Amino acid sequence: MAERVLITGMGMVSAIGNNVEENFRSLRAQRSGLGYAQYVDTIHAGKLPVGEVKCSSEELAEMAGLTDATGFTRTTLLGLVAMQEALFSAGIKDPRDTPAAFINASTVGGMCDTEKIYFDILDPEKEGTFLQLIDTLDCADCTQRIADRAGLTAYVTTISTACSSSANALMYGARLIRAGLVERAVCGGTEALTRFTINGFNSLKNIDKRHCMPFDKDRNGLNLGEGAAYLVLESESFAQRRKARSMAELSGWCNTNEAFHPTSPSPEGDGAFEAMRKALAMSGRTVADVQYINVHGTATLNNDVSEGRALERLFGDNVPSFSSTKPFTGHTLAAAGAIEAIYSVLSINRQMIWPNLNFTERMEELRISPETRLLEESPVKNVVSNSFGFGGNNASLVISKYGN
Amino acid sequence: MEIKCYIQASAAISPQQSFEGSYEPQLLPLEARNLLRAQEPGYAGFIPPNSLRRMSRLLKMGLTTALQCLRNANAPVPGAIITGTGRGSLQDTEKFLHDIRTYEETALNPTPFIQSTYNSVNGLIALQQQCTDYNNTFVHRGFSFEHALLDSLLQIQEGAESVLTGGFDEMTLEHFFIKSRIGYWKSALTQPAEMLVSGTPGAIAGEGATFFLIGTAPGAVELMGMQMSYKPDAAGVSETLAQFLAQHGVKEEEIDLLVSGRNGDVRFDHFYDIAEKALTPATAKIHFKQFCGEYDTAGAFGMWTATQELLSGRHKTALIYNHFYGEQHTFILLQRH
Amino acid sequence: MEALKLKLKQEIIEALNLQDTKPEDIDDNAPLFGEGLGLDSIDSLELMVLLERNYKIKVEDPREGRKILQSVQSMAEFIMSKQAA
Repeated sequence: MAERVLITGMGMVSAIGNNVEENFRSLRAQRSGLGYAQYVDTIHAGKLPVGEVKCSSEELAEMAGLTDATGFTRTTLLGLVAMQEALFSAGIKDPRDTPAAFINASTVGGMCDTEKIYFDILDPEKEGTFLQLIDTLDCADCTQRIADRAGLTAYVTTISTACSSSANALMYGARLIRAGLVERAVCGGTEALTRFTINGFNSLKNIDKRHCMPFDKDRNGLNLGEGAAYLVLESESFAQRRKARSMAELSGWCNTNEAFHPTSPSPEGDGAFEAMRKALAMSGRTVADVQYINVHGTATLNNDVSEGRALERLFGDNVPSFSSTKPFTGHTLAAAGAIEAIYSVLSINRQMIWPNLNFTERMEELRISPETRLLEESPVKNVVSNSFGFGGNNASLVISKYGN
Repeated sequence: MEIKCYIQASAAISPQQSFEGSYEPQLLPLEARNLLRAQEPGYAGFIPPNSLRRMSRLLKMGLTTALQCLRNANAPVPGAIITGTGRGSLQDTEKFLHDIRTYEETALNPTPFIQSTYNSVNGLIALQQQCTDYNNTFVHRGFSFEHALLDSLLQIQEGAESVLTGGFDEMTLEHFFIKSRIGYWKSALTQPAEMLVSGTPGAIAGEGATFFLIGTAPGAVELMGMQMSYKPDAAGVSETLAQFLAQHGVKEEEIDLLVSGRNGDVRFDHFYDIAEKALTPATAKIHFKQFCGEYDTAGAFGMWTATQELLSGRHKTALIYNHFYGEQHTFILLQRH
Repeated sequence: MEALKLKLKQEIIEALNLQDTKPEDIDDNAPLFGEGLGLDSIDSLELMVLLERNYKIKVEDPREGRKILQSVQSMAEFIMSKQAA
């Protein structure tokens, strides 16, 4: 029997708060973090709402305890802030005392900073400290800077599967633990808003100029966001030996590919259906055991039809409460899976279900609609968290109350 | 590992004639810059015209190598698809960056953005072969292909019968220039034949795509295991190697082939000395980067080189040791049956 | 109108890299998507970029775009109507 994988620590930063507690308060207060950008430099800043973290890079560096932040991109700084909290909340004083993995996720690495100086780099006449940012162009740079500062070096790598990246990072870390290669894996993702990504999604014509409206008939696209989140995963036996506080269990997961289209999901949600079905089967739970689904719910025309159909097919007439938390944070791409995994843990531990903001009218294609109210004192034992991405990459996680 | 894992088939696009026919590596001459460009095959026999028209170079290279590997294995649908790429499609990333500037963030073509996404090759393989299984992409310099391989081994241990795994990277002239600004390449034109004795810092750049179908069906070459090490010092490399061999019950003298990533970069070549000294003087050595150049996923071409050598019958047990600029180190053990 | 349609066909072939297709292969009224030329939703976005860059016509809503991009004929009619306005 493979070891259970427990969640023993969490840290995050997003548009609705600089740590887990602040995020919780914003969710409970139904306070969205969407608005016009202050920090990312784009002509769309005053037109397209985003979920920007409400700190300058200098402030993030200070929060991360850096005295010299030269060469540290915003992607790295967001990650450092989240990592610091994750290790602290897990009660880990010296991470180096246990060989641990760090599985990070990123979609464009340090693009947030390199795009500002890219054409200076290409100019052989120009010299300066900006050359120190050249190596931050890839996805590995942020991971290694965070790994080095945190002291997590037994296995270090970065996953990039678009919007499902950090859900896959959590899965991979959990599998390293179950294979017995490590007893602890810190997994998640970091994503900073960039001109590159905003223009990319805008070229796909799937950014809404209003605050996004997941599962609404009138929805017209997503809002991008930024943030970072890490979860400390430990084998049950290791967590027990060190008397760690267990916040929840990562009890099931599945990654499937739709093989349907480079950027669009299938209309009947075949990939989403399979990912959720297999993740639940692995966790040993049935559809009746699920109290809440944190859906991918980007509010694009295609995603919500596809995901909604998958929910109807899997859960039949008894679809549990579901909501997209992207109207709070924006779509944080590589960080989304980990941010929403933390919201799922909070749902279990605080016995609450988060509202799907900005919803007014049910979609014609669906019989179901999302939970629009904040539900308190609502017993939640099992949550399904969905993350679906470009390239047909579908990932579902099952997060369960420990001892359930 | 409890379940044995074999290399069922492989395929490589590289600066060498490696895609089809018998493999005879050449020390290729360089003229303008320290960059070994991949020799690309015709893609029309692999990718339908309606898909091909939109694809950029790395997507064609990656997808075609994957398809050739499946053809070589006589297996149209793999199980999981797990890949590594350090940079993804640089051509697309660069095009989108330039377009953003040229058109001042308006009326941008979406295709370069879509194709710059690191997992686009994986998605295309799945789409073309209608493979709905596990699909993952690692993007971490010298731990890109390597973690794809480890993930594949985990998949096999968890019950998968076969996994398609590979690595691919391209080098554009623009990115070659960018990396030259921070010492990635040798500054004077250096021929691959002189690379190892150049006595200078930096490497010769390269590129390529390499795929393997690995699985549980017994085959000629067994993938015995792998071990990674992040930013070790010399003692750490030595210790990791000793533990790795002991773990697999392989004695130093049993290894009759060392496939090493030595690239003539005086800053980091000393690590390769450690592995060479640990083995017996009789162990044959192949320094594969003379043939493919240095790139994030060159380690995959190292494993492909070792596989070819074992299949030729010249050697029985091969150790592959590669690192990427001294930071990500990997040992892999292959054995012929 | 005929000149515009020929120009559009050449632009479509270039923008979408339809290497083996000649302007005369494209019927004015043949559907561009699905059957016909076998284009997909990404091509439709590319064609909207073409309209914006070459004709200064911005199509905001992808659903509207689908109607305009039904055929070369519908594209040409839309361009003429915009230019007349």
